[in-house]
Amino acid sequence: MIRTTLTQVFAEVFEEHAGGEAPTLADASVLLETGLDSLGFAILVTRLEDELGYDPFTEAAEAVYPRTFGELVAFYERHAPAAA
Amino acid sequence: MDVRAPKVPTLRERLAARAPVSEVLPGLRTDALLAEAADAPDVLPSVALRVRDVRTFVRALSVLDGRAETILLASPGTPLETVRAQAERAGCTHVFGPGADLETLAELRALGQPGAAPPTRWVLTTSGTTAEPKLVGHTLGSLTRTTTSDATRGRTATWGLLYEPTRYAGLQVVLQSLLGGSRLVAPDPGAPLHERVAVLAVRGCTHLSATPTLWRRLLMTARSEELPLRQITLGGEIADQTLLDRLTNAFPGARIAHIFASTEAGVGFSVTDGKAGFPAAFLEVPPAGIAIRVREGRLLVRNEAVAGAYLGEGTRFRDDEGFVDTGDAVELRGERVLFLGRASGVINVGGQKVHPERVEAVLVAHPGVAVAKVGQRRSPITGALVMAEVQPAPGTDPAALKRELRAHCAALLAPYERPASVKVTGRLATNGAGKIVRRGEAA
Repeated sequence: MIRTTLTQVFAEVFEEHAGGEAPTLADASVLLETGLDSLGFAILVTRLEDELGYDPFTEAAEAVYPRTFGELVAFYERHAPAAA
Repeated sequence: MDVRAPKVPTLRERLAARAPVSEVLPGLRTDALLAEAADAPDVLPSVALRVRDVRTFVRALSVLDGRAETILLASPGTPLETVRAQAERAGCTHVFGPGADLETLAELRALGQPGAAPPTRWVLTTSGTTAEPKLVGHTLGSLTRTTTSDATRGRTATWGLLYEPTRYAGLQVVLQSLLGGSRLVAPDPGAPLHERVAVLAVRGCTHLSATPTLWRRLLMTARSEELPLRQITLGGEIADQTLLDRLTNAFPGARIAHIFASTEAGVGFSVTDGKAGFPAAFLEVPPAGIAIRVREGRLLVRNEAVAGAYLGEGTRFRDDEGFVDTGDAVELRGERVLFLGRASGVINVGGQKVHPERVEAVLVAHPGVAVAKVGQRRSPITGALVMAEVQPAPGTDPAALKRELRAHCAALLAPYERPASVKVTGRLATNGAGKIVRRGEAA
């Protein structure tokens, strides 16, 4: 579920911000090497907060930021609010 | 107004005082640098430096300081014609750099004359992005007020340069490494970040200065944890607690300092206790001989060593007691003074300043927009993002308008200025003068 949303929103932001068709993401894809810069990534995180209702980057206490798409999905899954 | 210091040691004299022979940049040693810098006439013309290469930049500064009346540090990305106009405002007769009037140090030396060497004024440009950058005069003394020259410690340090060296923050890194007896590593600014990180790691970078946005990106970059960092410096944006905690965890051996600095005020002060904001005690006992004050929720600082007006316009930014209004909104919370953002409403997107009025002007220039309001939203990645609300002109389709505005903004605004989201709403509040009511602003 979260993976689908992430993939969709990533494609949306990529097209708007970087231009052109978004690359296909695998778990090992390095986020900052996909062609999306810091600003694009910031927009992605904001869009995801609107979509999912939470922002793990602000909430989480981990030292390390996710670097790959697989890590990003796991990061969002780990911090998802418990289903009501 | 002129507050040039009477007789400050020149860059050459201060370089000679560092370890007799050491490496300044990979492959450039102090003896070679000083030998080249010593060989010039007493007086050189005032020049604007427009160079990208750090080695050339350092060599030119070493030759010019104490010989030219003015050195303007132009951003290498600025078009040559714009640099010429800035040079004229600053009283410089030539532009030095690739494709400019003077391309080599030999050409510069050939213009020299015998005479009394003037003290050199270093002119920096403010990072105004939309407005014409302002010019601020410094001296080597005012620029190095917080530079440490402990050569025993300095010799073990390797500074990494991720900033443009002509900007205030980048120049601090260059001068600290030069005068502190350290080495400087300057990876190609055009290379992707992971490649620059690899260069810094291979060269053993121990000291690194960057904006909070860049630090967040570094934390997302493979192998950044391999950097043998002992000193982490953050500046140019608000350093939040989350980021400070992450850096503490990622680089447990490093000292972390977030610095507050503005081009107008000269360097302000640094905070090294790992907490966001600064201790309220700084208001009573200020660090390093400056003075700090909070007036009407804004931060004021005093640094005697800096001229109190912009060059060529006479606009004074210093009050009668010598305080400079930094324009930063602050709040006292418990024992801490916390930064809230720019009092003017200017939005800091990853270190780039965005004027909401300018973005609003671009939005209302679209025929489908009746009223536009631009604000910001907190971002855990770039600190803030630009957000817009627009009231459509009668008969406009909201969905089509959103798409059109995206293209419209892409054509007229820099990427960081473009609204990250545009909300089409029914009616926006305006004040008596028909102007938008922005948060924190008297209507």
